[in-house]
Order: sequence, then structure tokens, then C-alpha cells
Amino acid sequence: MKRTIAPLALLFLLAGFALTQNMSDKSPVIVAPVGNVQLHAGASKTIPLDFRVDSEFHINSHAPHSPLLIPTVLTLTPPQEVTVADVKYPAGQDLTFSFSPDEKLNVYSGDFSINALLKAPAGTSPGVYPVKGELRFQACDHSACYPPRKIPVQFQVSVVK
Amino acid sequence: MKRNALVFVALVVAIMAMLASGKYLDRTRKHGPLKLVGNVQGVPAPDFTLLSLDGRKVKLSDFRGKPVLLNFWATWCPPCKVEMPWFADLQKQYGKDGLVVLGVAMDDSEPATIAKFASELGVNYPVLLGTDQVSDDYGDVQYLPTTFYIGRDGIIVDKMTGLLGRNEIDDAVRKIMNAPSKASPTAQQNQAVVQGKSPSADNLDAKETSR
Repeated sequence: MKRTIAPLALLFLLAGFALTQNMSDKSPVIVAPVGNVQLHAGASKTIPLDFRVDSEFHINSHAPHSPLLIPTVLTLTPPQEVTVADVKYPAGQDLTFSFSPDEKLNVYSGDFSINALLKAPAGTSPGVYPVKGELRFQACDHSACYPPRKIPVQFQVSVVK
Repeated sequence: MKRNALVFVALVVAIMAMLASGKYLDRTRKHGPLKLVGNVQGVPAPDFTLLSLDGRKVKLSDFRGKPVLLNFWATWCPPCKVEMPWFADLQKQYGKDGLVVLGVAMDDSEPATIAKFASELGVNYPVLLGTDQVSDDYGDVQYLPTTFYIGRDGIIVDKMTGLLGRNEIDDAVRKIMNAPSKASPTAQQNQAVVQGKSPSADNLDAKETSR
């Protein structure tokens, strides 16, 4: 009896948890975990940050064709010991959608990467430094759009001599 | 053994209830209780007062007695752009028979930007500046476009989310043009889905007489 009940209860628990998650809380974009980044003091390194857009959605690229459309923007806030020298966005795809067959929208869909150029000034003390940030984007599906939202991005940089 | 199993199941149910209530409380802490949930057909449209692009205060209940098409949109929503000229056509076609089209811009853009955008699409109806409160009152309007079709009696006849075909919109407008002007018994029964300030039949009448 106990053997039957326990997995069943676990199933109920997971189902209940799933039910409590409002669909609007589910982000259409997820970020892949970033491994520990090693950086030599006085050197720089390009770190690719990988994102995946849910197959039902697309998001505006960093350079959408209209100023009214909300661009995808990555903001990183490193500690003093590490600087973000540059952020390079991929080019978006020009696509038309059923809701606007005459207008091409520049979007990201599927997987895309944003490259962040990190630098550790010479003389930086060796150590592990957390870099935090967020990706702001605005997603649409084939017939409607969601308000802009942000997802957290974070990783650690190990500065070595 | 059986008792232990029951205790375990009870524990699981309790955890699920806590998760669900935690989620609800988190939601209500941020925005206050939602007013419209589930099937909103037959439910009184929550009243609101919003600023129009020209700075006027516009109150939904001021249009009681007229069918209202209430469209939530944003300048960053390409599908919304498709519908807006259709709504302008409908305003032209049915305005003389009382149809009121109201656009609610759920936008952070400046009113001048919103006005320019609307003007370029030929919008000939009032555009109001949306707020979190009105979004919450209408069931947390996240998915744009979202349109409520409200009968002359202030009762929601239909709700459409996402871009649909022109025919479906025409049908919905015809429905509100022809909807009976008194709250139907079904409408009053459906008030169960309105949380918080649930207008009773009495205060519906009061609202009607206050016009």
C-alpha cells in the first residue's frame, strides 16, 4: 500500500505545483547555464551567452526595424574587478508573420547567442567574481504579444594570474 | 500502515494547497485581487476611469446604454495594428447606431507617440491610457490584443484574445448591437466569477439610474 501511495502522492504534488504555475509566469526565453569562466588578470575573453526562445514564440532582435518595437537588450553588472568591454548581438532574422504578411520583423527565434567581452584589469586579485545581469525582451506568438519582461543572467568569473 | 498512508496523502494535499495559496497571495500582494477570471461572458464589465490622449477623464459607465467594444492594445504589438483599422471601420459603420469603440493603450510610450501611431492607423475612436489597475480589473490583460464586447447593459457579451479574423470581430459587434439591454438572469448567476467587489442586481440598477 505504502509503495503505491508514495509515488502517487509525489505525482499529485508535482501536478499541483504545475497547476499553480500560471502560464504567464513561464518565460518564453530561457538562458543556458554558463560554466565557470576563467580570465587572466590583464586579459580579455569573449563569453557566449546562449538563449533559447520557445518554439511558439519569437522576440524582437536587438535592432528591430521600428523604433516602437522593444529591442532585446542584455545588461550585465559586473563587480569592480571585472569589466564588460562590449556586448555583441547576433543579427536577427527578417521574417513575416500571418498577422503582418506585408511587414518584415527582425526577430530572434530558436537558439541565439549574445557575446560579452569581459576584461580583468592587470593587477586584479585572483578570485571568483559573480557577474549578474538580465535579458530584457518582448515576445509574440503567431497572433498576439506579451508585455516586455526580464530574465536573470548570472555566471562566475575566476580571475587567475 | 493504512493510517500512515492517509496522513501522507493529507500532507501532500496540504502542501499543494499552500503552494496554490502562496501563488495567489503573491499575485494579490502585487496587484490586488483579480476581478475577472474564467469565463467572463455575462459578467458586468468592471467600471474604470482612464485618461484619454487629449487629457479627458473617460468613464466606462458613462457609455451605459450603448454597446462598447473595448480593445486593449500596445504600440509594440504588431497583431494589434491589424485590428485597429477594422475597429475604425466598425466605428464608422455602427457609430450612428450607438456603437462606442474604446482603445486602451497598455504602453509606456509617451501619449504623443501613441497618438501618432493611432492616427497613422486611421483610428477614429478614443484612445485611453491603460493602467495596471484596469489590466488587473479585466483579468490581468497580458496577451495583446484582447478585446471585450460589452452590451448596452454593461454586461460582457464576448472576450477575444489574440488576433482573430475580421468576420469574427464583425459577428461579435453584431452580437453586442443586438444584445438585450437588461442584465439577463444568466448574467446575474455568472457573477460568481467576479471576485472582490461583486456588483449585485441592486447596485446594477443603482448604476443604471445614476446615469
